[in-house]
Amino acid sequence: MVESLYPAGDARGIWVYLEHTDGRFEGVSLELLGRGRSLADVTGERLTALLLSGDGSALAEQALGYGADRVLFARHPALSVYTTLPSARVVADLVTQRRPSILLLGATVNGRDLAGRLAVRLRTGLTADCTDLLIDKESGVLSGEVTGFGQGILATIQCPDTRPQMATVRPGVFARPVFDPTRSGPIEGIAVEIPEDDLRVRVIRRSPRRGADITQAERLVIGGRGIQGDFALLRRLARALKADIGATRVAVDQGWIGHDRMVGQTGSVTRPKLALVCGASGAMQFTVGIQESETVVAINSDPEAPIFEVADYCIADDVFQVLPQLIEALDQKAGRKG
Amino acid sequence: MWWCTTCRACEEQCPRGVPIADVMLALRRLAWQDRSVPEGVSPVMWALHWDGNPWRRPPSQRAVWARGVNINRFQRSDEILFYVGCTASYDNRSQRVARALAGIFGTVGVSFGTLGDEEPCCGDAAYALGQHDYMKQIVQRNAERFAEEGVQRVVTVSPHCQDMFLNQYPPIEGFQPLHYTQYLAQLIQEGRLGFEAEFKVKATFHDPCYLGRRNGIYDPPRDVLAAIPGLELVEMPQSRADALCCGGGGGRMWIETKVGERFSDLRVREALDTRAEVLVTACPHCIACLEDSLKQTDSPMRVMDVAEVVVGALSAGRHA
Repeated sequence: MVESLYPAGDARGIWVYLEHTDGRFEGVSLELLGRGRSLADVTGERLTALLLSGDGSALAEQALGYGADRVLFARHPALSVYTTLPSARVVADLVTQRRPSILLLGATVNGRDLAGRLAVRLRTGLTADCTDLLIDKESGVLSGEVTGFGQGILATIQCPDTRPQMATVRPGVFARPVFDPTRSGPIEGIAVEIPEDDLRVRVIRRSPRRGADITQAERLVIGGRGIQGDFALLRRLARALKADIGATRVAVDQGWIGHDRMVGQTGSVTRPKLALVCGASGAMQFTVGIQESETVVAINSDPEAPIFEVADYCIADDVFQVLPQLIEALDQKAGRKG
Repeated sequence: MWWCTTCRACEEQCPRGVPIADVMLALRRLAWQDRSVPEGVSPVMWALHWDGNPWRRPPSQRAVWARGVNINRFQRSDEILFYVGCTASYDNRSQRVARALAGIFGTVGVSFGTLGDEEPCCGDAAYALGQHDYMKQIVQRNAERFAEEGVQRVVTVSPHCQDMFLNQYPPIEGFQPLHYTQYLAQLIQEGRLGFEAEFKVKATFHDPCYLGRRNGIYDPPRDVLAAIPGLELVEMPQSRADALCCGGGGGRMWIETKVGERFSDLRVREALDTRAEVLVTACPHCIACLEDSLKQTDSPMRVMDVAEVVVGALSAGRHA
C-alpha cells in the first residue's frame, strides 16, 4: 500500500476548495462551507477556504461570511479560468506544506477532475460523489455516505490512515449557509509559481451554455397550453413576483418558449418555494416536475383539471381574467411599499 | 444507441436476422458499467428504487386510479390478477384506461383483483434503459411474490409489462401473462362479452410495438374492434409488422425527443390520412406520444384506447 505523504497525527483542519465563475461561487462550494463549518465545530478544528483566482479578493471576504475561519488566497493569471494542471499544482503544494486533515470539493465537472488528480498526487483516498458527510469527534475520521446503484446500496466510506481525507460532494445535498457579514478572519495571500510545463492548456474563450436554469428558481410562473402562447403576460407576472418562467411540454412544442424552460419528466424537476401554474391541465409527466414545490397555485378554467389535485390553492377561472388582476394587485402592493 | 426505441422495425427488415434492439440494450448495459449514461436516465432508476415506479410518484398513491371504483384485493380464487402497471396507476390519462377495464370486468362478471398499492413495478424501465443488473433483482423479487400470491392468469394494461412477464421473468408455475386485448378477445369468443347496439365510429388501429412486433399480438385488438357493430376499422398504410413506432419504447418515454424528430408526428400524419375519427391503440406510452403529437395539429381526431372504445360501445347499448 502507498504511504501517506504525512501521518494522520500531523494533520489538522478542514479545507474546502471553492469554485467560482464570473465572480460568483458555485452553489456547491457554499454548501460545502456550510457543512464544513458544522464538521469543524464538532472537532474544534479550523475551517479553511481555498480560493484560487486570477484577480479580486471580494470572494475571499465572502468566504469568511459563509463560515470559513480563514482563507488561503492563491492569485495568478493562470488561475482565472479553471484548467487542470495549474490548479492541481497549487492545491497539491499547499496541502503538502500545510497538512490539512480533510479536503472537500464539489462533485462538479471541474471538482471531480481536480479531486481525482489530487488524490493520486497526494497518495490518499478519495470518496467521490458523497451524499452526506459525518465526522468522528475523537479521531477526526470522516465518513462519506455514497449511494451505489445496482445493488441499491448505501455505503459509508472512511479513509482512516492516509491524509488528507478527500471527498467530493454532490451539489444540492447540503443547505446553503446564511451569509453573516459580521464574520471576519485572516485572508492569507499565497505566492504562486506555476512552471511553464503546467501551462500547456490555454483558454482561448469560454462559452457557457446559454439557457435558463430553472431548477434553482425560488419562484416559478409556469405556462401551459391554456395561456395560448401569451408568455408576455406571464413575464409581467414573473416580474411582479420576482419569479422565473417555466413551461409545459405543449408550450415548448408549440415553440412559445425554449426547451431549457420545460418542467417535467423530460424537462427539469424543479423545487421552488412557489409554483404558479397557469393553464396547464396537469398531466403526470408535467406534475413530477413541480411535486416537490413548497406551494403550488394553479389557475385553470376547467374545474375538473387534474392539476387541481396537486395544487395547494386552486383558482378555477380563465387565466386571462385572473392574471391581469393579479399583476395589478402585485404592482399596487409593490408601489405602496416603495 | 439511446435513440433506439427497441421497436424492432429494423429487425423486421434485416435480411440476416440480427437482434439489433438487443444489441442496443447490450450497449446501454455497458454504458452503465462505464458510468456514461445520459443525463436524466439514472433518476429514473432511483425513482424505481425509492418509489417503486419510474414516474417519481408516491408509492402510497398507486391505487388512487381506482377512486370511486370498488376493486378487490387479489385472491387465489380470482379468475385473473389485474396488473395495472405504473403508467396506468399514476398517469391521469391512462388511469382512465385502467378504470375502463375494471368497469368492463365488472360488467362481464369476471372475478378479478389487483395488488392495490402493493403492486410492484414490472421493471420495464430498468430493462429498456439497460440497467439489467437492477432489472434482474426486480424480476426475481416479483417472480417470488407472484408465486407466493398464487398468481396464474395475469392481465396487463400495458404491453410493456406483459412483455416483461413473458420474456424476462423466470418460469413461474401456471403463470400466464395476457395483454388485456387478448383477454377481451377471449371473453368475446366465449360469449361473455358482447355488443348489441351500434357504435358508429370510423377508427384506425395503431399497433404498439411491444404488443405486435415483439410478441406477435396483431389480431386480438382487431378482433375486439371487429366485434363492435357499427365500428369501421380502416388500416393505415403501415400496419402490423410494418407499423411505425410511437417513439415511446426503449426508455424513450423518459428521454426528451424534440418536435419534428418524434416518430409519433409521422404516425399521426398517417392516421389523419385515413380520415378516421378515432386513433385507437392499446398502450399507455403510445397514447401519451400520439396525443402529444396530435396536439400539434388542429385535427378533431381523438386518441382512444381499445378498452375505452369497448366501454363506449357498451354504454351505447345501454343508452339505446
